[in-house]
Amino acid sequence: MTFELLTFFFFSAVLVFASAMVITIRNPVKAALFLVLAFFSAACLWVLLEAEFLGIVLILVYVGAVMVLFLFVVMMLDVNLARMREGFGEYLPMGAIVAILMVAEMAIVLGSGEFSLANMPQPAGHPEGYSNTKELGRLIYTVYVYPFEIAALILLVAIVAAIALTLRKRPNTKHQNTAQQIQVKRSDRVRLVKMPSEKKPEN
Amino acid sequence: MIPLSYFLILGAILFALSVMGIFLNRKNVVILLMSIELMLLAVNMNFIAFSHYLQDISGQIMVFFILTVAAAESAIGLAILITLFRRRQTINVDDLDTLKG
Amino acid sequence: MNFVAPDISPVIPEIFVLSMACLILVADLYLSDRFRIVSFLLAVGTLLGAAFLTLSDMGAERVYTFSNMFVDDTLSDVLKLAIYALVFVVFVYSRRYTQDRGLFRGEYFVIGLFGTVGMMVMVSASHLLTLYLGLELLALSLYTMVAFQRDSATATEAAMKYFVLGAMASGMLLYGMSMLYGVTGSLEIAVIKARVAELGVDNLILVFGLVFVVVGLAFKLGAVPFHMWVPDVYHGAATSTTLYISTAPKLAGFAILIRLLIGGLEDLSAVWQDMLIILAVLSIGIGNLIAIAQTNIKRMLAYSTIAHMGFLLLGILSATPNGYSSALFYALVYAFMSLGGFGMILMLSRKGFEAENLDDFKGLNQRSPWHAFLMLILMFSMAGIPPTVGFYAKFGVIQSLIDVGLVWLAVVAVLFAVIGAFYYLRIIKLMYFDDPETDAPVQATVDMQVLLSVNAWALILVMPWLGSIIDLCRRAIAGL
Repeated sequence: MTFELLTFFFFSAVLVFASAMVITIRNPVKAALFLVLAFFSAACLWVLLEAEFLGIVLILVYVGAVMVLFLFVVMMLDVNLARMREGFGEYLPMGAIVAILMVAEMAIVLGSGEFSLANMPQPAGHPEGYSNTKELGRLIYTVYVYPFEIAALILLVAIVAAIALTLRKRPNTKHQNTAQQIQVKRSDRVRLVKMPSEKKPEN
Repeated sequence: MIPLSYFLILGAILFALSVMGIFLNRKNVVILLMSIELMLLAVNMNFIAFSHYLQDISGQIMVFFILTVAAAESAIGLAILITLFRRRQTINVDDLDTLKG
Repeated sequence: MNFVAPDISPVIPEIFVLSMACLILVADLYLSDRFRIVSFLLAVGTLLGAAFLTLSDMGAERVYTFSNMFVDDTLSDVLKLAIYALVFVVFVYSRRYTQDRGLFRGEYFVIGLFGTVGMMVMVSASHLLTLYLGLELLALSLYTMVAFQRDSATATEAAMKYFVLGAMASGMLLYGMSMLYGVTGSLEIAVIKARVAELGVDNLILVFGLVFVVVGLAFKLGAVPFHMWVPDVYHGAATSTTLYISTAPKLAGFAILIRLLIGGLEDLSAVWQDMLIILAVLSIGIGNLIAIAQTNIKRMLAYSTIAHMGFLLLGILSATPNGYSSALFYALVYAFMSLGGFGMILMLSRKGFEAENLDDFKGLNQRSPWHAFLMLILMFSMAGIPPTVGFYAKFGVIQSLIDVGLVWLAVVAVLFAVIGAFYYLRIIKLMYFDDPETDAPVQATVDMQVLLSVNAWALILVMPWLGSIIDLCRRAIAGL
């Protein structure tokens, strides 16, 4: 068993374990943390496949931003954990059988020899000085400029949607309106009152 | 030497786990959203493995865009989740039963 | 590698709609609620402008640009024009309804236009990547539009269900696409087609990928057994949003079906034909049978949509150019019938009242004979009763089935269409023979009255031009 194969099995085992925990564990915070572990091991496998840039992006963007967003939402919502724990077991054996059958069938098809080493040998590594990031960057800004623009639009839709759906004005919160503060004139705040001077009380 | 089929079977396991997660989870919408992330991870694993063994970079570019879309998708999904929670005070899948027929 | 700047002239309509949507997004910030109508007019004007741009660039030959990721052919032009028209009418129909419900906001039009761009990208996709991105752009816009009515418990619930199932469908589709990529080594649909022709039907992995692709597409189209989101979303969303979802996106869905199954995988037609037969028979059967049991008209029309999608699949599964063009014609006719049907529900709804139940149509003839008659035409057309265009649409599809010898399938389709006619005719019975439950007058803005009348009458009066429309559909398919 070569080192490469050993690495593959190690990270795949962690990945499968973490994914199984994500879908079976009851506590959403723990599920999110297991998903982080799953992404991390997947990123390592991607580096093994010479997709260095995407491996790093998966950790930076996914673990760093998306999963934090997930954790943020989970903690913001006041979820009743006691109710979450009820009645999962009843479907679990059935689901496990279906999943195992599904994997077995897919494995028969995928392992049928079409994708064996003989048919599709592992390619030699890239020459020294090859940069995966540079190559991707070159293509994305030239050949794939049209999908790139659409992806930008998708992100814009997400921004508009997230704001339109969740922004709400509460009537009883107090805001500081800077523009109003600056525009205040002396006459709004200070009232000069002319009063006749009073006589000193006589004692 | 790792055969391509190993990576594909790994992808298949992840895919099956995520499908199971979606169908089994009756309690928590957040975990449903996480299962969808897992499904996309399985797809990405396939694309990257193919891209490596075919020595064709367009698979990696596809993954780049799938990651972008998935990030946007989860932002919208969580926004919907928040409006749902504000409205109903629950994210339990079983409680989402006003629409039936 | 030398890179030549792509020719952007075929993409000008997309660029125009996108820029205008961004303009509306910014301009809307500075508008007070009284002048919100400006955003509406800009959105409607955008669609007219886009139609003008597409018409002025409508050539017969196929043009590829952006490294073969974008294709401009007759099919894309026809579908784009129909999409502009549908979204235009959707905006006009939903104006008063959204105003009454606090949904008349700038973001509504912006998201609606972004969704339109998504549909345009789908219609013109010649690469798996652009196909996927267009699909997601549309889907994300639709999830948002459903959730827009955030103070409604049903709308948010519908949005959540739609989101989860839609995202799962995308995952399935992508899994199938990854297999196609693995076998053919390319994401470009034309290259995939060439490779599939070499490999043939015997390639197990190709068939394996195809299964996932078909399941993903069936989810998106709402074909049985992947239809569970359709009734909930149609019912739960605001009627204005249901109107949007049930019209133009169906054409875009039809387009990706054509691009993938026929553009890329036509050599596997023997395989996908069997899958589509199951989907189509189940959709027509279950859609029509369950629709009978509904009391909510939005749910009823949702099941009717499922049945119509079954008919659409019937046209495609005959795997002949005639079948494809009849399916295209069916998709166009369906979109305009659905536009009128949901438009009618919008018209009968008032501030604080949703005309959602079948009982709300009781005695419509006494309240307003004109509207009752428009609804009569719409229902006749959906049921496929001559002389409406709905009859010719069904006829074309069934004709194409008989041509390829699938007579049993044609018989099944006709049988269920007859069963389906029952629930359409029930509405007519309610309108003409029952007493109204309310005497509130039917009110609507003038623009909506005119458009809805044109919409319904067009289903009959289009007859003299029927031949040229069918001919256009044939040419669109021939130009693939």
